[in-house]
Amino acid sequence: MITLLRSLFSPPRHLILLLAALWIGLALAEKRAERHNISKAALNNIFFYSILGYILGGRVLYALSNLAVFARSPLSLFSPNIDLFDPLAALAAAFIVGWIYGYREKLPFWAVLDALTPLFATLAVGITLSHLAANEIFGNPTSMPWGMEQLDAIRHPVQLYELIASILIFGWIWLQKTDSQPGIYFLSFAALTAASRLFLEAFRGDGTLIFGGLRLAQVIAWITLAITLFTIESIRRKDQFSKATFMSRNS
Amino acid sequence: MNLPQRRIAYIIILTLGLVWIFVSADGSGVSTSGKISAPQQGFLAPDFELKTLEGETVRLSDLRGQAVLINLWATWCPPCRAEMQSIEEVYQEYKDQGLIILAVNMTNQDDYSAVMPFVKAQGLTFPILLDEKGEVGRSYQLQSLPSSYFIRRDGIIHEVVIGGPMAEALLRTRIENILK
Repeated sequence: MITLLRSLFSPPRHLILLLAALWIGLALAEKRAERHNISKAALNNIFFYSILGYILGGRVLYALSNLAVFARSPLSLFSPNIDLFDPLAALAAAFIVGWIYGYREKLPFWAVLDALTPLFATLAVGITLSHLAANEIFGNPTSMPWGMEQLDAIRHPVQLYELIASILIFGWIWLQKTDSQPGIYFLSFAALTAASRLFLEAFRGDGTLIFGGLRLAQVIAWITLAITLFTIESIRRKDQFSKATFMSRNS
Repeated sequence: MNLPQRRIAYIIILTLGLVWIFVSADGSGVSTSGKISAPQQGFLAPDFELKTLEGETVRLSDLRGQAVLINLWATWCPPCRAEMQSIEEVYQEYKDQGLIILAVNMTNQDDYSAVMPFVKAQGLTFPILLDEKGEVGRSYQLQSLPSSYFIRRDGIIHEVVIGGPMAEALLRTRIENILK
């Protein structure tokens, strides 16, 4: 099964899996959008503007950070090479473009993120599937019976661990009933994703180490988890406070 | 769950997370970036020894201290053929700054007799290595041609580019990064 997946979607074809995940994720998000009081049209618009921001922002910001090189071969700006791209800048551009659109259209921030959560969860499955297809990440050596041979050693099949975790998170998210407080749905997804990364990173053999052995991804995942839990709590408290205020005014 | 229960749950989750970070810290050196060789960004480039078209032996580890671009290619592969001129141009431009280009022909899946005429027709001046047994293809987990590995002076892979042809700007930005 894995061999078939790898032969069908070896790099750079593994990107097809990401595109498929985006497409399926958008369809699923559309299906649930109205539960979060976001129209399908608004969801589609915010998605396509963000994708446009991602593509253009990633390329333009990459060119700006390598201005001297692009000045010598300006046509490279239109090259189909996907490696002429700054993924972090692209993400920032996508977020800014999406946020500006939402602000102009007066869309509620947390409700939009809630509506997009099925898309994020599907994309997470697509990313882990593409890791498996591209054989991109690998685990620490292990003597466990389910270890898989990779780079001349029997290693933890971390690609499979991550795939299973992302499918479980997607399943949990999909089966959730919409929380009354906007933001909780998205933040629960973010917290679960951070927690799974925090746990599974320990089995990876290709992470970046800091401070003499701590895994950078785990530290980032822990901080993300702490921020999401804190935000969930503050949303719940704000909601309780407004309910209490409403009741005291009425009584 | 009420507020105090939720707070306790969050504190337990975060404490367990912190404990897990320290318990799973890598003190043994079984991982990770830069310590073991793997054909991935951030790892030591797997070593190899191959003969050039002229019969000279080249070992990758002997080139430590210089920036190296390894390009895996074959004559039957159109994008490989298409990017060779750009590679030659940047080689001429950067070789004095310490750039080494190793164009590894996947001879085990290519027509050996076609290699030399192609190299001459293109006027390529960088070393062409012959992977007759497919050893480099295996150790670099070759999945698509062309595949290029930009290796820093310390032997660590800075970037892997799978597929092609590579645009000149892509070649230049990556080469300038590994020459730093």
